Amino acid sequence: MSQNSPSRWAMIGRETGRAVTAVVIALLVALVVILLTSADPGAAFQTLLTAPLSSNRTMGLWIDDVAKLTLTGLAFSLVFQARQFSMGVQGQVYMGGLFAALIAMSPIGATPLAIPVAMVAAMLAGAVYGFIPGYAKARFGASEIVSSLMLNYIAILIVNYLIRAHLAPQGTGQLATAKFPDTAIYPAILPGTRFDLGILVALVATFVVWFLLYRTNWGLKLRLVGHNPKFAEYSGIRSSFIMVSAMTVAGAFGGLLGSVFVQGRAFGNLAQNFDGNLAFEGILIAIVARSRPLAVPFVALAYGYLRQGAQLMGIRTDVPTEMISVVQAIIILLVASSFSLPGKKFFANLLGRKTTPAATPEAAK
Amino acid sequence: MIELLMTVFSATFFVTVIRTTTPLLFATLGGLISDLSGALNVALEGMMLISALTAVIISVYAPWYVAVLSGICAGAMLGALMAFFHLRLKADIILVGFAVNILATGGTVFALSQATGGDKGTSINLQSKAVPAVNLSFLDAIPVVGPTLRSLLSDHSILSWLALFMVFAVWYFLYRTPYGLWLRGVGEYPAAPEAAGINVTKVRAWSLVASGALAGIGGAQLAMFNYIGFTRDMTAGRGFIALGAVLLGARHPVGAMLAALLFGIFEALAVVMPNLFNWIPGEMIQTIPFVVTVLALILFSYRAQRARQMRTLTKI
Amino acid sequence: MAPLLEAISIGKTYPGGTVANDGVNLSIEAGEVHAVVGENGAGKSTLMKILFGIEQPDRGELRLDGKPVSFANPREAIDNGIGMVFQHFSLVPSFSVYENVVLGSEPRTGIKFDRQKAIEEVRALSEKFRLAVDPLPPVGQLPVGQQQRVEILKALYRNARILILDEPTAVLAPQEVEELFVAVRALVAQGRTVIFIAHKLPEVLAISDRITVMRAGKTVGSVNAKEVTEQSLATMMVGREIALRVDRAKGRGDLACEVKALKLTAESGAPIAEDLNLKVHQGEILGLVGVEGNGQAELLEAIAGLRAIADGVVYLNGEKLNPLSTLERRELGLASIPEDRIARGLATGATIAENLVATRLADKRYVRNGLLDLKAIKAQALKLIERYSIRAGGPGYPVGTLSGGNMQKVVVARELSEQPKLLLVNQPTRGVDLGATQFIWKSLTEARDGGAAVLLSSADLSELLALSDRLVVFYRGKIVAAFVNSDDLTAETLGTYMLGLSRQDPETMRAALQ
Repeated sequence: MSQNSPSRWAMIGRETGRAVTAVVIALLVALVVILLTSADPGAAFQTLLTAPLSSNRTMGLWIDDVAKLTLTGLAFSLVFQARQFSMGVQGQVYMGGLFAALIAMSPIGATPLAIPVAMVAAMLAGAVYGFIPGYAKARFGASEIVSSLMLNYIAILIVNYLIRAHLAPQGTGQLATAKFPDTAIYPAILPGTRFDLGILVALVATFVVWFLLYRTNWGLKLRLVGHNPKFAEYSGIRSSFIMVSAMTVAGAFGGLLGSVFVQGRAFGNLAQNFDGNLAFEGILIAIVARSRPLAVPFVALAYGYLRQGAQLMGIRTDVPTEMISVVQAIIILLVASSFSLPGKKFFANLLGRKTTPAATPEAAK
Repeated sequence: MIELLMTVFSATFFVTVIRTTTPLLFATLGGLISDLSGALNVALEGMMLISALTAVIISVYAPWYVAVLSGICAGAMLGALMAFFHLRLKADIILVGFAVNILATGGTVFALSQATGGDKGTSINLQSKAVPAVNLSFLDAIPVVGPTLRSLLSDHSILSWLALFMVFAVWYFLYRTPYGLWLRGVGEYPAAPEAAGINVTKVRAWSLVASGALAGIGGAQLAMFNYIGFTRDMTAGRGFIALGAVLLGARHPVGAMLAALLFGIFEALAVVMPNLFNWIPGEMIQTIPFVVTVLALILFSYRAQRARQMRTLTKI
Repeated sequence: MAPLLEAISIGKTYPGGTVANDGVNLSIEAGEVHAVVGENGAGKSTLMKILFGIEQPDRGELRLDGKPVSFANPREAIDNGIGMVFQHFSLVPSFSVYENVVLGSEPRTGIKFDRQKAIEEVRALSEKFRLAVDPLPPVGQLPVGQQQRVEILKALYRNARILILDEPTAVLAPQEVEELFVAVRALVAQGRTVIFIAHKLPEVLAISDRITVMRAGKTVGSVNAKEVTEQSLATMMVGREIALRVDRAKGRGDLACEVKALKLTAESGAPIAEDLNLKVHQGEILGLVGVEGNGQAELLEAIAGLRAIADGVVYLNGEKLNPLSTLERRELGLASIPEDRIARGLATGATIAENLVATRLADKRYVRNGLLDLKAIKAQALKLIERYSIRAGGPGYPVGTLSGGNMQKVVVARELSEQPKLLLVNQPTRGVDLGATQFIWKSLTEARDGGAAVLLSSADLSELLALSDRLVVFYRGKIVAAFVNSDDLTAETLGTYMLGLSRQDPETMRAALQ
């Protein structure tokens, strides 16, 4: 309901400015790290910043990441808006991927129903997996942070086991299933690239999450619970129901991401540790997007570019991909902090209190 | 089954339990201190991981105790970093904690490959050192119980003894010193210590630093005793399990020790079970500590809730 | 000889432009009780925060014993012998009395906290200054009056020569106020100085030697207590005659709400209230009298559906409320203005329109098939913004961007825009200025005249006496007296029942409860 609010564009501008400032600072730190560790820092930094555009194939890789980052960002945005800190997207991705794979490898997998049925199965599996920590919190008061993190590990181990012992072709020692039938793999939108149905799924999901949050009764209640749970209770909103349902719906999107992973053209099968920690990067997306669903794809676009650049830098230069985690951490820290655009207050904060010149020794501690 | 029982009641199993419990106990005590000061430290995992790597790399060039100290310093510095962003720049503590975790997951791999010259998986090529075990073979001299005592008490990491001492030290600090009073006051009702002229921000900052230092010893023990050397993601959720152990231990040092011991026992079981039951898949055994944490958390929260309800009459 | 403590032309402007203090002068002599009076918003609290080092003045200077001083933080003020007791106590609930008293300046042996010494010192202090408190129990379990003594002991333990009491009587019953005054006199007799912030004039005249009056951020003047009257002080405070008149109800209608044999317990199972019976009729205001913590607030929560009912029944217009959810109760015409209107009554991050519609999310006008009717919601918001003259950029602005007074209006607008059948009000004017008080009182009487049955709980007896048609007195979770309001009913009479000093005979009570 933020239409007709003249401050809206100003807010978008301010937030974008903050995010860009954070990214620039993070990249400067990255540059320093590269300078210190690389034999050819120029090439490494250039690869980081430009490689995703170097070919159709790398652009496809980038867009493929954007779709996935959007979905995980949406899942985190939903729970963050309800002020829940469920960290279970990774587990939901594995459960969703597992069930999508089971459908794809079943007889249904060879029919045109393969994609829709597998997507639904993945969403259901993810929803169930998101429901568990929500229910444990609402019913027993168990911290959703801890339980959802534990469930992530459990999901990964279960999937790893099933692949190793049952789903992978026997006797090959492979840690992945065989390729799914073509009918179960997302069709490419641009032939020959990874630009597939996944990106459409992500865009539709963005719209759906936005609609749920800003146009439905449930969404308004969810946001009110997130803003002030005491007020929600006073208004007669059943906050425990909202809490559980928010985590469940977010779980469905996490599960959907599982389907996008395994049925996308990048994989087309179920492999061990397939998410490459991407699911957790949704935290970054959601924070930078301030949990606004419509901002999520844009943040994913920018961040996905950086992520892809880092991957290519890891392949093509002597700087490992993992260097990007420094950039990620700095972006989260800065965006979550209360520094403002021109950075005056931020730097004032760095130096001491406010902008009063006469900072007492006590205040400077 | 009998084999399992025999294994569980053997001295070797006891030694394994102590080994698996030690890193967890340090992390749990760290989590406890920051929790009591009013900040949930979700970064224990990342702090342990970074400290583990720091200790391993330093141990190549310096004696083991210097390596352990540098692990502690690494944890403490991460605590200070969190304090800076949370307290000075007002960032949400949970987000700050996850930033540290993300930094740890990728950053350790990056640093490892720098240190080993390109190896991203393990530090196997580094000549790292171990924390010495404490040899108590003189206990053999005691008649009758001597050998049993020796087999139970000897050959533990020196840090395991330190962990036991730290349980006492943390308890003494929290409940017997003025600073412990300050810390608990800050966590429960910050306005009170503030009005009494206590610098609340400073207390919180030091709690996070202490929390990081404790997690840091845990990381050092993990990479310099439990395993010799660093492997990527070697903490494998221990920092998060510690977070559960803080809650399960009813936010008290002795409770924290018992909770850490419980999780240590299940981790030890996961260590010995593959040898006993080779028909159970290894992955399933590895899930045990996580499943136990979830169940224990739910059970504990449920019991705490029931205890409250039991005293309230039924609703109409 | 120089005064003990002096503030000279103090100025303080808060970020955002609020001028809280503008040329304030205060001069405190050693060994006196000095009252600082003024309306809410006159700048008393800011001045006290400056004296105690919580805020730093932009202009002016402080002198202690004739020497200029400045306090960067409370610690420095404490070290200079200044102690402060806030209106909201700063006590850690689970800590014992002695732990709270010594917190921050603990007696130690080595690094060890010397508990025995702490207990002894607290005991000695409490005997010396006749502030009887047991040092051992957790403060959370003590009644408010005793918690206040703990606060005073805290300041004395730190050797406060000057003790600032911020609205100390606001939370006390009249008889407890008397006990406090005994303690204050004992303090002065032992050479301490007391600064007493208040706005209840009879109390101020009873306790103080000298009085400084503040208005709109300035000091109007200082007078000797013996030389002024309540009326002349009041005129100094507001600069005009006070005109807070309320029209009583013209007559009451049918029975609206009935509470029968209600029992409430805390989560721990400890009883909060028992055997509550009362009736409220359409078009009347029933005042709930009592020292805070005697069950009034919990009764309101239970009726609103925010607290479980252990036993007994609540009816609204013949319908049993017990099994209904908060939302269903609201649909029956229940409205509620909570005590902490911003923390409980608003989601400051959400927009004005969203806040205004938050309690009506089951209403077909705004929600159909689970979808929001944004047009209707916006139209409603525009209507209420206009009707209650809420100063805001528009319905899409977050409530957090409004001023405090306008936030209050958002709550009142939401709760009263549709004539409620039963209105629950808790502490409606705590912490609000005169203008807002007028607005809220007017809104309440309008709701009453529109046929609402109103349950009003307030710590301010004069407010209760001004607004209520009937009053019931709570003491330790029971209703111990009931009155039909009249000019003969005084705060003192209510006070004797509030403290359980007198008992009303059952007949009189039953008659007034009808």
